[in-house]
Amino acid sequence: MRVTFKRTVGMVSKLYITALSIAVFFAGAATLFAFNLDAAEGTFSALAPLWTVSVSPILPVLAALLGMEVWSDERKTGRIDVLLSSPVRERDFVVGKFLGVWFFVVTSILLFLASTLAFLNFYAPKLAVSISVAGFLPGIILLILQGSLWSAVAIVSSALFRNAAGSAATTIFALVALPRALWAALSYWTRDGLERFGELPMDIHAFDFSSGLISVGVVVSYILLTFVALFVASKIISSLRFVGRNARRLRFSASFSLILSVLFSILAIALVYRVNVNFDIPVAGSGETRFSAHTRSVLEQARGSVSIIAFLERKDSRFRHVSHFLRSLKRDADEVGGVRLDIKYVDPVLDIAEATRLVREGIEKSSFVFERDGRIVHTLSIDEGYSERIISATIERIAVPFQRSSIYWTVGHSEATFDDYNPEGLSDVARELSLNGYDNKKINLADSNSIIGKDCALLIIAGPKKDFAESEIERLKSYLNGQAGNSDGGRVLVLINSLELRGLVNLLSSWGIRPGEIDLRGVSTMTGDDVIVKDFSEAHAITRTLKDQQVILYKPLGLSLSSSAIEGASGADLKRYSWLVEAGGRHLASVVECGSTRSDVAMRPSRLVVIGDVVFMMNNSLRSYANANRDFFMNCVKYLSGRDVMVSSGAEVDRLVTGMDRDTRIAFTVFSSAVFPAVVFILCVFFIVLRRRR
Amino acid sequence: MLEVCNIAFSYGAKEVLKDVTFAAKPGEIVCIVGNNGVGKTTLLKILATITAPDSGVIRAEGQDIFKYPLKYRRNLGYLQESPALYEDMTVKSYLKYRAMLKGEPEKRIRRRIQEALNTCNIQEVMHQTIGKLSFGLKKRVAIADAILLRPRTILLDDVFAGLDRTMRFDAKEIIKSVSAFSSVVLTGHEMTDLAKLATRFLVLSDGRISASISTESLNEIEIVSRIDNALKGVVS
Repeated sequence: MRVTFKRTVGMVSKLYITALSIAVFFAGAATLFAFNLDAAEGTFSALAPLWTVSVSPILPVLAALLGMEVWSDERKTGRIDVLLSSPVRERDFVVGKFLGVWFFVVTSILLFLASTLAFLNFYAPKLAVSISVAGFLPGIILLILQGSLWSAVAIVSSALFRNAAGSAATTIFALVALPRALWAALSYWTRDGLERFGELPMDIHAFDFSSGLISVGVVVSYILLTFVALFVASKIISSLRFVGRNARRLRFSASFSLILSVLFSILAIALVYRVNVNFDIPVAGSGETRFSAHTRSVLEQARGSVSIIAFLERKDSRFRHVSHFLRSLKRDADEVGGVRLDIKYVDPVLDIAEATRLVREGIEKSSFVFERDGRIVHTLSIDEGYSERIISATIERIAVPFQRSSIYWTVGHSEATFDDYNPEGLSDVARELSLNGYDNKKINLADSNSIIGKDCALLIIAGPKKDFAESEIERLKSYLNGQAGNSDGGRVLVLINSLELRGLVNLLSSWGIRPGEIDLRGVSTMTGDDVIVKDFSEAHAITRTLKDQQVILYKPLGLSLSSSAIEGASGADLKRYSWLVEAGGRHLASVVECGSTRSDVAMRPSRLVVIGDVVFMMNNSLRSYANANRDFFMNCVKYLSGRDVMVSSGAEVDRLVTGMDRDTRIAFTVFSSAVFPAVVFILCVFFIVLRRRR
Repeated sequence: MLEVCNIAFSYGAKEVLKDVTFAAKPGEIVCIVGNNGVGKTTLLKILATITAPDSGVIRAEGQDIFKYPLKYRRNLGYLQESPALYEDMTVKSYLKYRAMLKGEPEKRIRRRIQEALNTCNIQEVMHQTIGKLSFGLKKRVAIADAILLRPRTILLDDVFAGLDRTMRFDAKEIIKSVSAFSSVVLTGHEMTDLAKLATRFLVLSDGRISASISTESLNEIEIVSRIDNALKGVVS
């Protein structure tokens, strides 16, 4: 076996097809990984499962190409007779050749992991810092198991054919094209589609293992099937001796033992699945959710017990992530010792009694149901997306007592509005505000009957396109100065992206902030019109927790200190200025706090936050969770409304954020999936030529 | 000693071997001759345990070779009609691979290879890739493989095919030199060369051994003449 293994390694290492197959594997897996990484940007996906599910579908192609000549060439050249007359059992030949192919498969997997980590380290250093190589281990174990099975199948196919290309084509057809086509057809033609069939088992295995969910049944299945495939291969080689009159009897005997072995394997696999022993390994960076300080703070402050029911089919492709998410949430709740969380899973098909109760309550499937004291208090649709923020806000709302306050949005100047569900609308942030206990109200400052109520925690001017009238400016000034029935001083958030609003610009200038155009050349960008902001003030509460995050602003205005601010700094009307974010050396968001004395500034100041953009918080911009736009906005709101304690800690920890802009992403994709495989191919060919000449 | 008793073999309905019986003692060079398609190669494949016979028994040192195939194959050298070698390997590494495959202890392998290289006179090409060698040299390498571990049974199928006169002479010398401790069974069509080499001729026709001609006390012309007669008798 050892001799055959060494010979197979020597033979395969001299084949040009080896260079091609490794290059194809690198290119295919890297392309899939780049696409998966792009699609997962800002989602809760972890890196290890993404990498594993990118490698898994290409692995059969690698095994098929590496194993195609292992037996077929022996048969084609007639060397098979020399082997059959050697004092070695067929099974030893088969296992030796299998190990030779398997060695290349495993080496390719490990090399691809190393290359991926190197590329990420270069192109996404922020992401690379948080990568734990140990987190890839369960995924690699699964890939090795799959690689073993695919290599064994490639050996079977190679033993069947004299033609190597026919062998490779058959293996690829049997392992890639046929199962995927069948699965796609079943999903397409049946009424429930993917919901009924779920994903392809081998893809699910890759995801589960890399997420730390190790199933003994799956391990046993892959090992047993590998043995069965090797047994089949050795029987095929043995059957080459069956050419005489006895051939039929011998073939029948071989077929009978094959059928028995397959039946035994099926029974063993069924038994192992029936026992269903699973291990959930908490592997860092492999899908285990880690929650932010904000969520942990909410869990700590919340009281009593809350039941969260995941009303979702276990076959649903999202089930695994949901269960990981909820399990991690419960673990954090238990750790901080606040609210007592009870997690339940109700399958609409399997848990009939409980499902019937929920349906009678009007709950649709694919929902989170929040219960308190046996009563349903809130539901969230999983279909509409869920996140740490939404879940923690819901828990905060139902288990943390607080007084609701209002946010007033100015209208009448073509502002973006909170009840607009279009991409340019602000319905997404309005939902977030509502979840956090704020009521959203409109106010038309031009209408004297429209009054800023005492419940106003904050006034927002969201990107007006028409200027404010003088009377409106006066109302704003008196609100800010605490002369509109608000003795604590006003809190205003101004989102401005036009310099033609003279009245508003003058108001801001009188508060010491002068908006102006900035040169966008040289700043980091994704599309050319936006600015990726990475410089946050560590001194201010709003941005302190946004370190290492990125906020994306669309053609923002720059903000500088006006002459009045400089004069005011030494005058009696004490103002404190702070910049929040900057890009290209220009401030893009600033804060002014104002009080009559220094102690006033600290205790009950008027607060004005100015951001030179409104697009960053529109529905369209918040669709991707890869940026911290949402956090930035919510931090501003909470700071202005005096809820500093609950300021979010930036983008949620478990979201996947590469930090790559468009150019970097293109470079990453091109280099990892085209240039690097090409270099590997050239190096392999060079090595092979050298070996052949030697 | 190799004993072949009542071997029968057929490809489907076509009976190739009906009743083949003979024995080859150590030191004997048995040459099987016959017309094309008579079953010489099939017989050698059966003797090499590549294919099992429909019926009959083959014994080596008194043991059924199909009951104890691994033990028998350890003492078997087999040369195919057309040598199929690993073209990417050097001569030396190929012989080393074959010796290891036959289970020879590593400490003895170098000596065995050197002996085979010397016997077959291919020391000069031992570091060359097999793919770059001429047909004759490849055949020598294949013969070196067959005699590598001084096997007790050596089976050589159409040993002189494709060899020039010098090569044929060399091949004869090699086979003579290794036959002292082995039973050699070979096939071929080059009667003159075979007559100088074989100790006994077996004429295979109609699935049976139709004639056994001992070369002892006969000159080459007589041997060839008797074989021709035997073959013609079959034809007529």
